Amino acid sequence: MRNVDVIIVGASLAAAAAAKRLVDAGFETLILERLELPRHKICSGILSPRGYRFLLENFGPLPRAALHDPTWCRGVTFHFPSMVSMPMDFFGGTTPHLHRKYSDYWAIQRSGAEVHDQTSVVALSDKGTHVAVSARRQGGETVEYGARYVIGADGPSSVVRKAIYPQYDKQIPWFFVGQKFHDIIHCPLDHEYFHFWFHPRLGHYTWSHARDGRQIVGVGFKKGDSFHDRHRIVEAYLREKHDVQLQPAAPDHEGCAENFGPSLINRYVFGRGNMLLTGQSTGFLNMIGEGMSCALHSGAIAGEAVVESLCHNQPVQSVYRQMIASEVRRTSDQWNPLMIAFAKPHEADFPAALLALPREDRIKVLRDIWRFVVLYKEFNWGRQIMASSLARLFTGRYPPQRWL
Amino acid sequence: MEIPVIEKGQLPPCPVAADALQGIPRQQTNAGLWHGENWRSFVGELQAAGIEVREDRGSRGIYVTDAGGLAHGLPHGVMLAQDAQQVAMLMMKAQHYRIPVTTRGGGLTTEGEAVAYGGMLLDMTGMCHLLSVDKKALTARVQGGMLWHRLAELLRIDGLDYISAPLNLASSVGGTLGVGGIDVNSARYGCSADQALALQVVTPTGDIVECSDDQNVELFQRVLLGYGQFGIITEATLKIRNYTPMRMHYFFYHSLRAAIDDLMMLDQRGVCDYTGILTLMDKAITLLVGFDTPEREQDFRHIMISRLRGCREKKFALRLLGYYLPRPWRWRQLRFLLRWKQALFPDLLPAHHMQKGVLHDRSAVFSRAVWKHWGHKHMVIPDLAASKEKFITAVERGNAVCKKYFPYYTLYCVGIKLRPEHQPHYELSAIPPDATGWSYGCEFEPILDDERHYSRDYLQSFKNAIYDIGVDMGTSYYRFGGMMKAYIRRALGDAVVDKHLAWKRAADPAMILNRDVIF
Repeated sequence: MRNVDVIIVGASLAAAAAAKRLVDAGFETLILERLELPRHKICSGILSPRGYRFLLENFGPLPRAALHDPTWCRGVTFHFPSMVSMPMDFFGGTTPHLHRKYSDYWAIQRSGAEVHDQTSVVALSDKGTHVAVSARRQGGETVEYGARYVIGADGPSSVVRKAIYPQYDKQIPWFFVGQKFHDIIHCPLDHEYFHFWFHPRLGHYTWSHARDGRQIVGVGFKKGDSFHDRHRIVEAYLREKHDVQLQPAAPDHEGCAENFGPSLINRYVFGRGNMLLTGQSTGFLNMIGEGMSCALHSGAIAGEAVVESLCHNQPVQSVYRQMIASEVRRTSDQWNPLMIAFAKPHEADFPAALLALPREDRIKVLRDIWRFVVLYKEFNWGRQIMASSLARLFTGRYPPQRWL
Repeated sequence: MEIPVIEKGQLPPCPVAADALQGIPRQQTNAGLWHGENWRSFVGELQAAGIEVREDRGSRGIYVTDAGGLAHGLPHGVMLAQDAQQVAMLMMKAQHYRIPVTTRGGGLTTEGEAVAYGGMLLDMTGMCHLLSVDKKALTARVQGGMLWHRLAELLRIDGLDYISAPLNLASSVGGTLGVGGIDVNSARYGCSADQALALQVVTPTGDIVECSDDQNVELFQRVLLGYGQFGIITEATLKIRNYTPMRMHYFFYHSLRAAIDDLMMLDQRGVCDYTGILTLMDKAITLLVGFDTPEREQDFRHIMISRLRGCREKKFALRLLGYYLPRPWRWRQLRFLLRWKQALFPDLLPAHHMQKGVLHDRSAVFSRAVWKHWGHKHMVIPDLAASKEKFITAVERGNAVCKKYFPYYTLYCVGIKLRPEHQPHYELSAIPPDATGWSYGCEFEPILDDERHYSRDYLQSFKNAIYDIGVDMGTSYYRFGGMMKAYIRRALGDAVVDKHLAWKRAADPAMILNRDVIF
């Protein structure tokens, strides 16, 4: 049995950030990844400026191999059913268009942590003084590990979260996000921007952008619906309304389950005992579905909390929850209607873009946004969002009582 | 995939886009780990020469972070400096085997400059002796690892004092001379580095060289305020003075602008021996003035007091009450101000250090107060140094950033008299290039307590926001430690940095001494 200071489950960007903090502080850190590295990852690859700065400061300049083409993204364009479009540039210039297969691998290598890939965690048991981890290597060999702490950085369908809270996944609504790749005949959508549609008929999460000479058409909807039907509707809409002419989708389409809810309603899961959760397994997701920057920052904070605990004999859960409050505040602010209206929680200036529109377009946009928000009515998030927003207004923070 | 190797000090091409992260060079600023190539052969040679290298985890773990507490790193080994010959041997071997060497005095850097990300950590506090004192010429020869509080104790025996040192006296002489060092009398005497007359330096290639304004002038210019890039200060000859107690006065202001105007006016007229501003947020602003002699104090009373816009304590208390009474939603802040006033002011004028209204001795009093009220596992003190003209705007913008990040914070502002003949020393330093006569520095310091944990990530974001003001305004930074690599290029420009980089390559071919501080 191999004993180490910390095991991180998942070779993600959150894992790389946590590992960087731990390895720097001299702790023996092992990353377990079920796939072979470098591994494929379903993602738009559009990173926020804050995430880019974190990557740069901690891991150095990105190699070309870690980027798709175009290598950059200038900002986001919102499209509305009333055919108003709002392009918004990121603050501070363009950001990288990450090729997650290679960028994640690069960051993991730069963190200096030891990696066991093709190793799936099958059981976790918190023994109080340490966590016993059972894993299975490809080929069926079972391996046992022991660690003072385990950090779950293994995405929305987290094995670590399942081990701590087996019922959690049944308590939240799940979405399916899928993308298809098309060769382009004619596409007037600006390739420098990530395009997002606030259109209830198209689904809960509809986007498109250019990648490696092809156009991605992405759809997100409540789990149980048909990916191909949804995609067909969006493709037809783009053709009809935006004159986007694409070849039929290539066979390499892909999709995965996503947990959109926790950061909207301040219902994060941070772990228990000697096991911490971070990144999207916790529920961190920025608005428009960008999860990489909060994964990097929350991952680093999880690493810092463990360092603090190991160096100063502090209870890791309470340290983590206090330290992570700033990241909760920043991420939840992005979904908070009061903050959106009166502050600038995003890394592009939505209020300024809205004010730049003619008055009648502004009214149309606000009406379209309202109709889009109504799409989420069935999840009963409205009251929770308003309660969190008011708590933020009067106390300056989001209530930690809602966290798991 | 292949990870391209980027040589130290180089800015690689950016594959993202020309305008990506405008103004931020594509450079890793949180140092990467060194992985230990040739380490065993290197240690073997040192041990054969009778030099002890500590490699156990306990010995190395002591040095895992610095006063800032944001950067963590473990050296492969630790060496306690004992004399210049031993340090020279270390550098010679390190240069040969290309082993990174990080020097550390009091460990009071705030961005990880004294943290080793692998390689050898050289603890300079082993060289901590006062070698000689010339009472006639008023000079002292000290070893580089001497801490200021120890120097103060030893000088007091002969009724002497250093001229200026950081208020945080747990910093070392060598480290301070490498970065500057400010005191409440810096507006009169300049920074601590300006008090150095001569240095003994171990160069990155292992030579022991004496340098001063007359001897090896270029090395002297590079090493003073050189962020430890061009050599290790093993000994220094410092100007000292006769010890005098201090006569202190406080004036209170509502407006930062008015207080700063008065501070600058006093500095320009040269009527005070000590000046500085200490605030609690931007609500209680205190101008501190002090004097070495009763005559100077009398002159100030007769000529200057009536010209100051600040008021005395009772009048200020009434004004403060007038501000807070109609604003009940800010009473929590008022409670905080009163609590701090009750805790802090007795510590700045402690009865057992006062004789007939005169303070004995400021070194002990101020240093203790700094540690007691601002001492925290994270020393978060980003600062801006600006010319007189830009200073007020820089402070106001920094104040707005503090408000955004923290409920309670302090600002500490002080002037630094510039010496035109020291211009070559200042070039790579945090003295702003456009400052003439005086440069002004402001530290922006959140009040942290043990009840609320902030993540390092959050504290670093706060510091970045302050530094970004500096880059935006073309000002600079004045700190206990070095500078973040990304900011020095943005603050001083590629031409200055590249010139010093060329010198660095010539002086330290393997680029091993204090890596990642600047280059």
